Amino acid sequence: MLPTEAFAQAPIIALDHVSRVYSMGHLEVPALNDVSLQVLPGEFVAIVGPSGSGKTTMMNILGCLDRPTAGAYHLAGTPVADLDDDGLAKLRSLTIGFVFQSYNLLPRTSALDNVATPLLYQGVSRKERAARATAALERLGLGDRMTHEPTELSGGQQQRVAVARALVTEPALILADEPTGNLDSHSGAEVLALLHELNAAGRTIVMITHDQEVADAATRQIHLRDGRILA
Amino acid sequence: MSFAELLRLALSRLRTSRMRAALTMLGVILGVASVVALVGVGQGTTSNITTSLAGLGTNLLTVSPSSQGGALTTSLTLDDAEAINELESVAGVAPELSTNATVMAGTEDTTTTILGTTSAYATVRAYEVWQGTFLTEVSVEQDLRVAVLGATVATDLGLGADDLGTEIKVAGLPFKVVGILQAKGGTGFQDPDDQIMVPLGTVQKYFVGGDSVRSIGVSVVDADQMDLADSEITALLTERHDLSATDTADFDVFNQTQLLEAASSISGTLTLLLGGIASISLVVGGIGIMNIMLVSVRERTREIGIRKAIGARGRDILLQFLVEALTLSLLGGLIGIVVGLAASGVIAQLAGWAFAFNPGTIVAAVLFSLVVGVVFGVWPARQAARLDPITALRYE
Repeated sequence: MLPTEAFAQAPIIALDHVSRVYSMGHLEVPALNDVSLQVLPGEFVAIVGPSGSGKTTMMNILGCLDRPTAGAYHLAGTPVADLDDDGLAKLRSLTIGFVFQSYNLLPRTSALDNVATPLLYQGVSRKERAARATAALERLGLGDRMTHEPTELSGGQQQRVAVARALVTEPALILADEPTGNLDSHSGAEVLALLHELNAAGRTIVMITHDQEVADAATRQIHLRDGRILA
Repeated sequence: MSFAELLRLALSRLRTSRMRAALTMLGVILGVASVVALVGVGQGTTSNITTSLAGLGTNLLTVSPSSQGGALTTSLTLDDAEAINELESVAGVAPELSTNATVMAGTEDTTTTILGTTSAYATVRAYEVWQGTFLTEVSVEQDLRVAVLGATVATDLGLGADDLGTEIKVAGLPFKVVGILQAKGGTGFQDPDDQIMVPLGTVQKYFVGGDSVRSIGVSVVDADQMDLADSEITALLTERHDLSATDTADFDVFNQTQLLEAASSISGTLTLLLGGIASISLVVGGIGIMNIMLVSVRERTREIGIRKAIGARGRDILLQFLVEALTLSLLGGLIGIVVGLAASGVIAQLAGWAFAFNPGTIVAAVLFSLVVGVVFGVWPARQAARLDPITALRYE
């Protein structure tokens, strides 16, 4: 194998015997139990499971919002365990684009400013922020909705703004948490089609869902039950 | 994030909640405005006293009968005054004896002070003659019925430059106007221009009787010799009045300058006190900001979670909230300064003293509101910065 090929095949996500245990008084509740998983660049992975299966914990750990209590997690080659809160924030900012179930757009803020905000925290200049945010919104067909605030947009439009916000930093990974959960079937299908399109363009996507139909849109499925991956 | 970015964020946030921002700022506005206005009033009073100080006449001592024992004694005489005038340290003396009477000129009349004195009075008490002359030595020696009008009296009687030589009636007796003084101004005490001056003997002869004087104004050669003059006069009068060292003196030597300096220092202390009390309201305004910022952190928990998820560090959140609090306090401070200056301007106008604009107060007010913003903004901002993104994102 040539060195360049080796580099290309280096996993974006590498979970190595990862556990996450919550302490509730004397009780220790394992939410994730000895999970190992690799996601390679260009994959579209769905993590599927019913509620209580550890999906949310998985999402928080993959998204660097939480740290494993045991095991190692490498995101784009960076060992997450070594990072402090600021380090995690920086890693999130540079590596991950989030798409949430409830869109999580900034209230009373225009679509353009919403999409530009991740760049603000990367220290990108105001002019470049506006240009890149405009480009991202136009790419998602929201060129005529840039000055609209979240309350002036439909659910589908809001989720597309959220996808634009996730894309604007050109992240290595897009992490989507129940991206269709709050949408009607038509808008949900549109968002899934959008994710497909992005994946086809080479973007790595990890989607977390409880819905098998939604999971079927992905190219690979990981099933979670009681904090473990089903073989 | 640069300061400009933070400021832009803060301003756009304040724009979306104008009413709340305005009400929050109101506390700081009132606090700063009352500090600025009250300090302005205090300084106006002080400078007013300082002006009166200069107007009193330089190096002035006043000798008056002792008020001890209740009844007004009439222990001082013209001879005492002349003896004091012989002292080395004394430049001039002006014995004074006054009464109140109605003065008429044609159909105009006014009730004012009739002050009997000598020709040295104008120099000792620092009056300037506007028209005509002051009392001459000859008119004083001969107890002539001539009068010099203070500026207020001249105005009240409708007399001007053309009316020198006019006859006025003082308590029915005719007097000839020989001069009009320039206004001396000064308020807060007695109006120094509301009096007419006539020869000392004339007052004794027609109005009061006896040969005593009410007080003796003494002009000292040099400011350094005030204490010397004081003790010399005391020694002289003790001897002249046949008092032994154990007797209670029947006279007081009184240094008005000292009194006014004391008054000036009291009003300075008062300024400080007023400013201090007003700054309590500024602190209350600061607490208002803290309160609103804490509410705001709670309301915007989800927003904070989103910002953290998409890359904001704790420091970015801290600065965002801190700059918001600072913007509130500083904007409030600036508006408060304008309001306070306007208020002290109006008060100065009403009280009739010069409007004192003090850049030091402005700088202090700006700094103070900055400090208020930081002190009361830091805690809510830290609360915001410490929020855990996972819980913040799930917060409803």
